[in-house]
Amino acid sequence: MEKDLVEYIAKTLVDDPAGVVVTVIEGEKSTILELKVSDGDIGKVIGKHGRIAKAVRTLLSAASTKAGKRVVLEILD
Amino acid sequence: MIVREFEGRNEKEAIDRAIEELGLDRNEIDFEIVEAKKPGILFRGGKVKIRVHLLEEHEEGEQYEEEAGLEEGPPEQRSARRSLPAASNGEFEAKVIEFARGLLDRMGFPAEITVNFREEGRLGLDIQSDGSGILIGKQGKTLEALQFIVNLAAGRMGGETTRIVLDTQDYRSRRERSLLRMANQVADQVRRSRESQLLEPLNPFERRLIHTSLARYGDIETVSEGDGLYKRIRVICRSDRDMRRE
Repeated sequence: MEKDLVEYIAKTLVDDPAGVVVTVIEGEKSTILELKVSDGDIGKVIGKHGRIAKAVRTLLSAASTKAGKRVVLEILD
Repeated sequence: MIVREFEGRNEKEAIDRAIEELGLDRNEIDFEIVEAKKPGILFRGGKVKIRVHLLEEHEEGEQYEEEAGLEEGPPEQRSARRSLPAASNGEFEAKVIEFARGLLDRMGFPAEITVNFREEGRLGLDIQSDGSGILIGKQGKTLEALQFIVNLAAGRMGGETTRIVLDTQDYRSRRERSLLRMANQVADQVRRSRESQLLEPLNPFERRLIHTSLARYGDIETVSEGDGLYKRIRVICRSDRDMRRE
């Protein structure tokens, strides 16, 4: 579910939606989502002062309140 | 909530226009200054733009009036009171709503989304969902994040000039009212104690609301402190000496 959310947002914001890849690493207490986008698109998912990344993390934590498991978003460059 | 904008050469003129057009009393009007150009030395004549918020009570009152069949005044005058739908761009609107719904679905909060208001450069959307509380978040931070992402998406859908305003359960107008109430209480306390007070961290929109609201008191001064998006406002009582100096 959280994976879909990150993919959905990233694909809308980038110029190359095909380059969006989200990898899920399940941990015991938390889930790590690794987001990879095409080279030219990295700024489009991070934003000025990391504002976009921060907003996506806020939405992720709201989405994970139900499941009760912490979700961590990592953006790979 | 209905939002309208008015312009004038100064604040008073803008307010007068709003009063005239909306048919309200001066003390009924709740507004913020969105743009203020002071009259310059070379370029005489300033410009002040205010945004008037008509609270729900008013809208309800209006509906009641109509249902009861108490129609007063010429129809043009009555329709001028209502928020005027700016030329609605149906396709863009539908795309934005679809994106927002998809976003909420994936967050696990399936929602109905309806149009709150349409006006020049702004589109207000209302979210109806079981998860309203979570979607608002602490101090509205989740709603802000949602709005930010939806605006980015809308920008890519050809709506760079349209700002999307998200709301749920009337959170924005409730929050505005409680912030203004709090600011006025703090101003009173500061006035009495002569000691400045620091408010909780607020976002730029909320800070502007307070700066503009307290600006009408000559003896109260407000300054923002801190870094980043969420700064704190300090409310200061200006001493008599400061005021004489001007």
